[in-house]
Amino acid sequence: MKKIFLYIAVAGLIPFTGCDKRLELKNPQSIDATDAFSSDAKVKKVLVGNYEAMGGAAMFGGDVLWMSELMASGGELNWVGTFPDPRQIWSKNMLTNNSNAAATYAQAYRIIFNANNIIANIGVVAAADQARVRAEAQFQRALAYFELIKFFGEKPFFAGSPSTLKGVPLITSPGPSAPQDPQYLLPRASVDAVYQQIITDLTQAETNLPHKNGVYANKSSAALALARVYLQQDNYTGARDAADRCITSATGNGFSLVGTYSAAFNNSANTTEDLFAIQVTNQAGTNSCFTYFSTGTYGARDGDIEVTDAHYNKYNAADARRSIFFFEAGAWRCGKWRDIYKNVKVMRLAEAYLTRAECNFRLGTSVGATPLTDVNRTRNRAGLSSLGTVTLQNILDERELELAFEGQGIWDAKRLRLTVDGKAWNDNKMTFPIPLREMNVNPNLVQNPGY
Amino acid sequence: MKRLLSLAAGFLLLLNGVVYAQQREVTGKVTDANGAPLAGVSVKVKGTNTGAYTEDDGTYKVTLSKGLSTLVFSFIGYEDQEVDVKSDKLNISLTQTAKNLNEVVVVGYGTQVKKELTSVVSRVKGSEVQNMPVPNLSQAIQGRAAGVFVESQNGKVGEGIKVRVRGATSINGSNEPLYVVDGVPLTGGTFGSASADINFNDVESFEILKDAAATAIYGSRAANGVILITTKRGKSGKTKFTFNTQYGTQSPTAKRGFLNAAEYIEFFREAAVNTAKYHYNRAGNWLGFASEAAAITNMTTWMEGRFRRYSGFNDDWRTLKVNTNWEDLAFNDDARSSQVELNAQGGNDKTKFFISGSLQNQDGILVGNEFKRIGLRFNLDHQVNNWLKLGLNAMNNKTVRNRVPLDNAFSTPMQIVALAPITPVRDANGALYDRPVTTYYNPLIDFEDAIFKINGYRTQGNIYAESRIMKGLTLRNELGLDMVSQSEDRFWSSRTLAGAGIGGSARAQWLRNTRWVTNNYLNYINTFKDVHKIEATAGISFENRYDEYVYVEGENFADESIKTLAGAGTITAGESTQDENNLFSYFGRVNYGYKGKYLASVSFRADADSRFGTNYKYGYFPSFSAGWILTEENFLKDVKWLSFLKLRGSYGVLGNNTGLGFYAARSQYGPVTYGTSSGLSITNFGNDDLRWEKTASVDLGLDFGFFNNRLTGEFNWYKKKTSDMLLAVPVPSPSGTTSVLGNIGEMENKGIEIVLNSVNVSNKNLRWTTSFNIARNKNKLTKLDGEQKEILPSDARFANALIIGQPIGVFYAPRFAGADPNNGDPLFYKEDGKTTTSSYNEAGRFIVGDPNPDWIGGITNTVTWKGLELNFLFQGVFGNQVQDGAGGFMSASGDWFDNQTRDQLNRWRKAGDITQVPEARINRWGDFESPSISTRYIYDADYIRLKNVTLAYNIPQKLVNKAKLSSARIYLSGVNLLTFTDYPGWDPEVNTDYRVSNVNQGSDFYAAPQIKSFVFGITLGL
Repeated sequence: MKKIFLYIAVAGLIPFTGCDKRLELKNPQSIDATDAFSSDAKVKKVLVGNYEAMGGAAMFGGDVLWMSELMASGGELNWVGTFPDPRQIWSKNMLTNNSNAAATYAQAYRIIFNANNIIANIGVVAAADQARVRAEAQFQRALAYFELIKFFGEKPFFAGSPSTLKGVPLITSPGPSAPQDPQYLLPRASVDAVYQQIITDLTQAETNLPHKNGVYANKSSAALALARVYLQQDNYTGARDAADRCITSATGNGFSLVGTYSAAFNNSANTTEDLFAIQVTNQAGTNSCFTYFSTGTYGARDGDIEVTDAHYNKYNAADARRSIFFFEAGAWRCGKWRDIYKNVKVMRLAEAYLTRAECNFRLGTSVGATPLTDVNRTRNRAGLSSLGTVTLQNILDERELELAFEGQGIWDAKRLRLTVDGKAWNDNKMTFPIPLREMNVNPNLVQNPGY
Repeated sequence: MKRLLSLAAGFLLLLNGVVYAQQREVTGKVTDANGAPLAGVSVKVKGTNTGAYTEDDGTYKVTLSKGLSTLVFSFIGYEDQEVDVKSDKLNISLTQTAKNLNEVVVVGYGTQVKKELTSVVSRVKGSEVQNMPVPNLSQAIQGRAAGVFVESQNGKVGEGIKVRVRGATSINGSNEPLYVVDGVPLTGGTFGSASADINFNDVESFEILKDAAATAIYGSRAANGVILITTKRGKSGKTKFTFNTQYGTQSPTAKRGFLNAAEYIEFFREAAVNTAKYHYNRAGNWLGFASEAAAITNMTTWMEGRFRRYSGFNDDWRTLKVNTNWEDLAFNDDARSSQVELNAQGGNDKTKFFISGSLQNQDGILVGNEFKRIGLRFNLDHQVNNWLKLGLNAMNNKTVRNRVPLDNAFSTPMQIVALAPITPVRDANGALYDRPVTTYYNPLIDFEDAIFKINGYRTQGNIYAESRIMKGLTLRNELGLDMVSQSEDRFWSSRTLAGAGIGGSARAQWLRNTRWVTNNYLNYINTFKDVHKIEATAGISFENRYDEYVYVEGENFADESIKTLAGAGTITAGESTQDENNLFSYFGRVNYGYKGKYLASVSFRADADSRFGTNYKYGYFPSFSAGWILTEENFLKDVKWLSFLKLRGSYGVLGNNTGLGFYAARSQYGPVTYGTSSGLSITNFGNDDLRWEKTASVDLGLDFGFFNNRLTGEFNWYKKKTSDMLLAVPVPSPSGTTSVLGNIGEMENKGIEIVLNSVNVSNKNLRWTTSFNIARNKNKLTKLDGEQKEILPSDARFANALIIGQPIGVFYAPRFAGADPNNGDPLFYKEDGKTTTSSYNEAGRFIVGDPNPDWIGGITNTVTWKGLELNFLFQGVFGNQVQDGAGGFMSASGDWFDNQTRDQLNRWRKAGDITQVPEARINRWGDFESPSISTRYIYDADYIRLKNVTLAYNIPQKLVNKAKLSSARIYLSGVNLLTFTDYPGWDPEVNTDYRVSNVNQGSDFYAAPQIKSFVFGITLGL
């Protein structure tokens, strides 16, 4: 008995066999990075994953929209919330440690990283889909760079000598595998270089994207993005033609303005007017415009952003666009962002009409349609009578009201050379600081003037 | 609770009939080896608290109840003697010894005589912390062991506690010691603190292993020390019952005080005017007011509108009709605690057992916060035959925690202090006011309308077989299991912040973390030729950890009286995950002693861990130590006053594997959802070189005893050098991520520890002992990634930094220079340290504080006089600072509508005022900077605390016998009764729970003050 028991007990001392296998455990919740680009299906899933990254709160999940609008406040928006970082943006008095700025900067480069990887592995994708997948990745990359250059570029493109103005670090390859590699200590490329990359990507994207592509990038959204880029360069011809191509592609493929203005907002599925929107459901996605514009009644915060009478009174009483505002917690609120779990509108078809109208007017042309026709299109939808004649100011006013608080505020203000809250369009404080955390880790970065 | 009490009472009744006491008297004389009488020797009846002390002539007289026959003679400086009394007369002589050095202490995979240790082990006996009214064993040992720093994050009951043994060795791993309960490492849960799962009244002793010689046998988990918890075991003899119950109350250690209604109105009116003037005169009047007066009118109207709103949209604020003290409402003014416990132990030569059951219930000081624990323990030892012994340790318990949200949530009770004193609590219908009447969400709504409940279940234990193979050689096989299941149920009605707009919401989380471990090792002990003593241990161990987790979220409730997810109309999220880890180890140790005076020891462990990167699968952890007992040498034998002196030293290499997630070494893509489609997104940037963090530790020390060991103590000097420290190295964002993990950092800790134990008075009636410990640890970060010199804070509220040459988490922030005497602007020192600026961006950054204490210590005094016992522990922490991240809201010169701390009344008001509080201004227009972290919000946080006081009375044996009991003791006990500190916040012992990390230390952010407890208890022995 003793012997038998001892044998059993001593057996416990014999090293466990197959121990090496037990030391190689894989994560049941994910796949190894080496597998992620190993098949057509996987690369396409990574592409979808990058839309999710675009929808991060710090980017098109809302921040880049409300940050633009807060900066463009001009007495029409007040930040009354307790968070100081958005208040700094609103008062155009930012600290370099502003957490919203740092998050947006990092998230934009995450999108670029993903896009670079997809493009580098495009050979894995089924031949028939390569052009489209590559085009979508280019669209993603271009939109990320565009937000970066607008927020963090030293000055707008049209401030003069874009080839010497400091832009942001430019990277278009997946780079070495280790993130700590010194190759990432990139200096800031010029504003011009960044714009060139954006235009190249968007041009190729527009060419290769299909007219319809579900909730993903399509030909018309790439064209409208290109129009936005050209507007930021004062390139009205380019913007006009891109807007016109956008409209042609869209209207030829089932896109159209929705019947009423209010139907264009608070949607959980894209409307016919949405050329590109970030998908938000009760299971995934965030909409930080809702978080800050809406109120506690609708499940948001306390109504951190108030709309003032100065803005509200800009609308004609008959303008359907006025009734999108609601009064709650002591102030007007922008109802475009009222409800929880609704898509973030990034590009609506209405914008393309107004961009085409403005550029046609400025150039004295009528590519696609006359400025008057395009302007009356959105006016009529809002329940207003048609204008008989149109001035540039009519078009700009129409654009302001139609697109109010949808993220174009400060970019329009800048290109129109407006002074906002006492700060000139090219004031140092009208640009974000390069985030302190980036300055701390990269000695090759130079801070923007004024910070 | 009542039921258990009546059960216990039933036991009492039952035993009444059984234990019929027949008494006999025993007399005798106690002498020393030379026959000289010894006075003041304790003569105790074994198993009771009764006994007597010898008179001046050495004589004594004790009464023995029937069934009791063993007397224990003890006297300081002499060896204890247990004698079975056969007659009524017993004379005895005691032999001198270094008594407390002959103690046996528990070490890794064995035990050792303390005298022969060449390592550093602090021992806290279970009896020292018995009945202390705290839920968590780490709180119980706070201040009692040298070099062991214990800090509760806040006053939420049963929640996170920081324990540091000789400082921190890691930035991204855990700095907590490894807890091993009866040979099984304790698995952490996710919700609340794991060490709160253990009823420490069941604990025989805590051994805190501190230096490499003691800990290296735990290899890749040893770098932060090891706390061995040994539970009580049965002793042969009559079965003994102990019944213990206590009741008490809880309150906060301090309240801060905020502006009352009148002060609030005055303060914010003033702020409105100041803001208008600032805007008009200094901010360029970009809103275009016609005159300063027009700006003031605009601001005042707006301010009065706010007052009106905060009054409930009426003018009550004008008459100061409402003056709500919101701070008081955060606290439960009827917080109680209770504990009932019954244990039994006994057995015979073959089989011994210990069983216990306990029920503990402690209200937190915050509304809605509660901790309950019901626990069972069964320990058994059985001698099968002359070579085989089997045994079992088993613990089963359930904990229930009603929690409150983290400190940064608007819904957490403490954030209520931000609300305006002019706001009434409830409306005319008795409903709680919410926004827009309250400035922020009213946390009381969560208290009434939300559920945040954790149920925890832990089964922990092991079985063992110990076989004697030959003389001196035994084999021990252990199989242990630690299984913790926790469920978290949360519910928010549509009235609450989280449930609004979505028809109420709920979340259920469930996890089960299982660890099984098998240890198989040989122990050999022998003495050769009477002079060579050898103790050797060698074995292997395998551990498997398996964590399972499930959660579901839903909203849109059919009816809000249904508070489980069954009532959710929409399920919005769900997930299940599984994670696994294997650890395979060899370990061994050899102790050698020559003539009981020259000691040496070698230990070794090899760990292979599945989480290590493919380039580093095995870690090796050796240690070497030696000791020399000088008092065994002839040249010191005759020195009368010196009873004991030992020099010792150790060196070893330790690891820390906790910085690595189970799969951190692998680059991974994980699933994401976009719209209704699934996608893949990079979730981890891996590294094949990832491995344990390495700490080389050297210790030099001496143990001493003077005057027949009436004064004993130890001194230690140590240095720990950590390398291969895991760091999330910040990288430029164009790399695709903002940080990546690597083994690159280096850190060191240097320190000393001093322990003194003395018997100040010991005579027939009075005995007074003191135990003192103090320790200094100096932590220094010595290397980051080799290129960066620092990782600086980029947070507007907190200033924790990593700077080479400085301690971990040191505060790096602008120096505040008070209010500008001319205009009331906040001023900061520029980089030159002399000139000032009102611009935070232009301010210089300096090292302005350190959250790590320089010195920590404790002093325990125990005085027994006849049947009375008084025990009190003062514990102190010195040389550290705390940053109040909420200062920018609550001590902010009225930057926003948060109610302000009372010190803000000293604001700058007119030119020439010298004050630390800038002019009151409300930041409506963003014209000036809102306060960010600076020395304005960094304070010294040294404190001395009366940590624990117990006053007990052992009821005289005569009375006890009459009640048919063997012992009875009543006691009063208090925790945190007094705190001495200059810290202006609630409590200097703080680290806000929502951002706690190794670097983020010393942060206050609406953290609840610590719990002051006061209990009354009774312990009965049957």
